[in-house]
Amino acid sequence: MEIKGSVVLVTGGGNGIGEQVVKFFAQRGAKVAVVDMVQKNIDRVVADVKAMGGEAIGVQANVTSEAETAKFVKATVEAFGKLNVTVACAGIIKDGTMLTLDKETGKVARKMGLDKWQPVIDVNLTGTFLTLRDSAEAMVNGGWPGLLVTISSVNKAGQVGQLNYSSTKVADALMPKIIIGEFMMRGIKNIRCVGIAPGYTATPMLTGMNQDALKAILADVHLGRLVEPEEIAKLIGHCVENEAINATTLEITGGLCYEHGIAK
Amino acid sequence: MDKFTYNDMEFAVAAAGQAWDIVRALPGGASAVVGTGLFPGATATDAAARARALVKAIYPVGVKIVGPDVAHPNMIGGLRIVGPDVTHPNFIYWDKDSVSCPK
Repeated sequence: MEIKGSVVLVTGGGNGIGEQVVKFFAQRGAKVAVVDMVQKNIDRVVADVKAMGGEAIGVQANVTSEAETAKFVKATVEAFGKLNVTVACAGIIKDGTMLTLDKETGKVARKMGLDKWQPVIDVNLTGTFLTLRDSAEAMVNGGWPGLLVTISSVNKAGQVGQLNYSSTKVADALMPKIIIGEFMMRGIKNIRCVGIAPGYTATPMLTGMNQDALKAILADVHLGRLVEPEEIAKLIGHCVENEAINATTLEITGGLCYEHGIAK
Repeated sequence: MDKFTYNDMEFAVAAAGQAWDIVRALPGGASAVVGTGLFPGATATDAAARARALVKAIYPVGVKIVGPDVAHPNMIGGLRIVGPDVTHPNFIYWDKDSVSCPK
């Protein structure tokens, strides 16, 4: 599928990886729908796309709401007449261990509450499901060729302190296989699905962290630096153009290793 | 330039080369771009009509709420904030103009 002229919808498009995905596609002649929770971020990104001579709309929405995922898919089709690529970038973290022990007694002092568990499941898993489901519905009913992209994470392998996040990201990594299996069964041949699993990425969350902690993270990366959001956007662009990539999740980590040089 | 008000928000539809931009007025005389490079080749009349339809899709109004969704509260400290139950069979998603929404 060609990028130029295609219509791309990006959730979480107001900052981080999503913002770079929006700009990557807009620069290459795609029409882009910028979906985010924060109107200010949407306004900034749409203004940037306008400055680069691109085509875009901004839609404020919460991906955990069925009414709102239906809204942004409808608005995209209303604006551009079709939908070809959906990138479900919207995601959150609320890190913590399942149990916290009292140092003196060794007994459980605190448990991870649903206030940390449920929002992560709702945004990263249910939000991705609703976004892909409603996008696929529009693509099938419109007869448009398409690509559905989930954003997983290298922490799908199981990161301590991220029981909630890792659980959603391993599910996001599995979705392409199940969705394409279903499409195969239903005779839907012109819509693909891939997952992207980034490693440690140069988003404000990481670049702004304690620099010693950042150094410790980079010690395990063969590339010796964080992955740039633009590099992830380029990989998604390659997935759009290369139709052989399907029903799989690709890692982009810069070569993340365990101690003693064993690749993760 | 075509201007219109929808749900207490001010919008303007302006030509930008061969296409059209929709701009939303913000408080204090500022503005934000709702959409850019839209409806290439459309006439001013067509662009105005399509802009109105698009704005209604982006900013739907008059949602009729049926029942609080007590199963999925948002917690702020000990406070439970519950939203509408969008899965309720009687939930109505109203996407027409706010003036015509049944009271």
